[in-house]
Amino acid sequence: MASGTIKKDSGFGIAQVILFISIAILVIFVAWPVLLILFNAFFVDGKFNSMDFYKVLTEPETFQALINSLIIASMTTVGSTIVGTFFAWLVTRTDLPYKTFMKSLFLVPFMLPSFIGALAWKMLLSPHSGYINKWFMSAFNTTEPLFDIYTYHGISCVEVMYLFPFVFIQVCGALERMDPTLEESARISGAGLFTITRKITIPLVLPSIMSGALLIMLYSMAHFGTVAVLGIEQGIYNIPTLIYEKIHESAGSFASIRTGTVLATVLIVSAACIIWAQQKVLSKGHYQIIGGKSFRPMELKLRGLRYPLLFFCLAYIGFTIVLPTVVIFMVGGVETYGLPLTWENLSLNNYKYILLEDDVTSDAIFISDTLGLAAAFITMFAGVMISYVIVKMKVRGKGILEFLGMLPFSVPGSVIALGVILAWSGQFGINIYNTVWIILVSYIARYMAFSLKANSAALEQVHDSLMEASRSCGASMWQSLKDIVIPLVRPGMISAFFLIFLPALRELTVSIMLYAPTTRTIGVAIYTLNEDGETVMSTALAGIALIIIVLGQMFINHLTKKASE
Amino acid sequence: MLKKTSIVAMACVLAGSMLFAGCGGGEKKAAAPKADGNKLIIYTSMKESLIKGIVTGFEKKNPGIKVDYQSAGAGKLMAKIAAERQSGKILADVIWTSEVPDFYKMKKEGILANYKSPVFKEIVNPFDDYDGSFHAARLGTLGIIINTDKVKTAPTQWSDLNNPDLTNGRAVAPPARSGTAYRANAGRQTQFGPDFFKDLKANGARVGKGSGQVIDDTASGELSASLAVDYITNAKIAKGAHIKMCYPPEMLVVPSPVAIFKDSKQLDAAKKFVDYLLGAEAQQLVANQGTIPVREDVKIDPKFQLPSPKEALKKGIKVNYLEIIDSKEKTVKEFSDLMQVKK
Repeated sequence: MASGTIKKDSGFGIAQVILFISIAILVIFVAWPVLLILFNAFFVDGKFNSMDFYKVLTEPETFQALINSLIIASMTTVGSTIVGTFFAWLVTRTDLPYKTFMKSLFLVPFMLPSFIGALAWKMLLSPHSGYINKWFMSAFNTTEPLFDIYTYHGISCVEVMYLFPFVFIQVCGALERMDPTLEESARISGAGLFTITRKITIPLVLPSIMSGALLIMLYSMAHFGTVAVLGIEQGIYNIPTLIYEKIHESAGSFASIRTGTVLATVLIVSAACIIWAQQKVLSKGHYQIIGGKSFRPMELKLRGLRYPLLFFCLAYIGFTIVLPTVVIFMVGGVETYGLPLTWENLSLNNYKYILLEDDVTSDAIFISDTLGLAAAFITMFAGVMISYVIVKMKVRGKGILEFLGMLPFSVPGSVIALGVILAWSGQFGINIYNTVWIILVSYIARYMAFSLKANSAALEQVHDSLMEASRSCGASMWQSLKDIVIPLVRPGMISAFFLIFLPALRELTVSIMLYAPTTRTIGVAIYTLNEDGETVMSTALAGIALIIIVLGQMFINHLTKKASE
Repeated sequence: MLKKTSIVAMACVLAGSMLFAGCGGGEKKAAAPKADGNKLIIYTSMKESLIKGIVTGFEKKNPGIKVDYQSAGAGKLMAKIAAERQSGKILADVIWTSEVPDFYKMKKEGILANYKSPVFKEIVNPFDDYDGSFHAARLGTLGIIINTDKVKTAPTQWSDLNNPDLTNGRAVAPPARSGTAYRANAGRQTQFGPDFFKDLKANGARVGKGSGQVIDDTASGELSASLAVDYITNAKIAKGAHIKMCYPPEMLVVPSPVAIFKDSKQLDAAKKFVDYLLGAEAQQLVANQGTIPVREDVKIDPKFQLPSPKEALKKGIKVNYLEIIDSKEKTVKEFSDLMQVKK
């Protein structure tokens, strides 16, 4: 385009300004906090000191947290990969009844925040009072509980239940887009089902399985909620929960901040490794899958197993989704925790109290909603601008922006929280610690990745020739922008908006580190109520949060359906 | 030229969205207490059920004064105050928690206002070295609570905690989090020696998550018994929880001091609040929650089995507060190392 060359000559044009603003946004919100963490981890009193880093890292408490993170993340990854791959295969490559419906059912766990799931499982499976354990002990007349949820296994199982869709989606996509002629030719050449699976199918989908698994690994290592609800009391800490404890107990003392930064550095490095490995795996697998064309892969006949397997899937959903949700709503209805769940003990009083009478919880709902909206708006527009520079503009210095644009994808939530504490609590002139603003800033950093992804995808599909065509037909600049680019990008913007708004509504990892007593988000309110021993209030609020989330999701589905029509 | 305009448009949109967010934020801020407003701000570790009634009563009596309070654990509040001090200004005017050593510490640091309340002569004072820096506004107690479905014989002595009947099921709150729990531990350690906790541990005791949560865990039967704060327990009993409060003869009495910050811009209102809190009306509200007031002229419902303030002080385990300030960190650490299983 001609304008590109004009701008190059002018030296300091509007393009540079926009590039500068884009870089500034990413630097201020993402890069700078991360750099501060690294700086604080390695520099003591202004001097580089890697020995001290090593010392903090090998303290028994810190070291144990690292090991715990690894143990839990590994078990979660293996479990989710098996569960996700199996169900993905079932709904794509077999003749399971009601396949499409089942496929959408398996995405439901995405909606249930895992810390709410953890709360429910605590009530179902705590060793002495969990409803399942109590039933088991009285039914079989034993004092040994069926399953103790406060263990590594318990924590990993709960994480698997709510994280496996990451693998499921990836593998489903790969299996659906796989070229079936490869399998057919193997079959014609006389290979049996087992050989085909081993030599053709598995190598083809392995990259997707691996990339989903790595995603879960990253998520689980940096995951706060489940471990906080089920682990802390038993002394099981992982990296984010230990960072939280340190910041929490310390009143901002430097030693604990340092331990926090060292732990955060470990998270940053592991995240970088995982993202790198994922890119590697994906780029290797890319050429083997045909995208965009619709083939009908052959289906395995399940025969007699069709209905038993359908039943198994339904039972799985019932056990992992329906049961915990029911427990949440029931316990949220009893007057005080420990009463049996009978009809006469159930009422709507807690829900009424939370919505109408209690300021803390109704404020939390208001704060989460406004924060989510504000973060979604700002991040959506900033994302459009940054993606526009990356995808469409030809301007010098874009490389920096592309690199910075990668950052949000790889920075875990607790790292962002610690980073914004270091950056925005007064040391650099601005102190927004203890206000809602610091949570807003961290949400923008945390969700920038979603916005960049959705917006670049949308912008990449708008070809330059469309604008040129409209210009040559005599449309003004503004007209063609308004009538061509914006409508084409709008779905991307809308999806970015909701990709941010819904997760922000139920956010816990970041806001738990940043909240002040008057700035509790829904997630924080649920967590602190539970921690303070207001179990029934906490579950009632969790129930309300679930209703809001489901309504929001339905609204999105409605919108996207409309957009695609 | 194509880009220039589109870029300008986007910049405008971005600016617009920032503006929008700005407005949204402004609304939110109004909900949070403002440091410069005419509001009296109270930080307290008392639960909603207790503080809400008192604040409402105070506002009714003093129509000109608006009150905002923040209810959170003592540790959290102290952390917040420390952070606020670092940034130059404590937002709170009044602090009321159960963490006595914190008050001695703040007094030493000189951040508390000296106010000798005229109501002082009417109250029962647990502090021998009273000088106007803080007043006791409640005498909290800790007792053993038991799950009535699981434990048939109520414990009457601290040593009963080692009964096999209670195996697998005691909990105390971690001292770093909760002021009351810390004080309780310090008290018992002096009284019974360090072996007390070792024996408990051997009988399957563990550290709970917070002074509130152990109660719910006991009510659900996850724990057979736990050490718990009086009024939180009584609130749950009132709601029908299957628990019972038992008091051994050596009582754990924990005064909850109230103090005013020296830099408060609302000194007059703060003083009025302290007077009101120590007065008969507020103390009756305190007593109604099932905890011991600081006034002899207030009636405590016999169903709570609580002694009168004077008696409570007599029966209570004596603690030298000045000593425990210095050893707090050590005690907390020893306690955590002993009780908390770090896996």
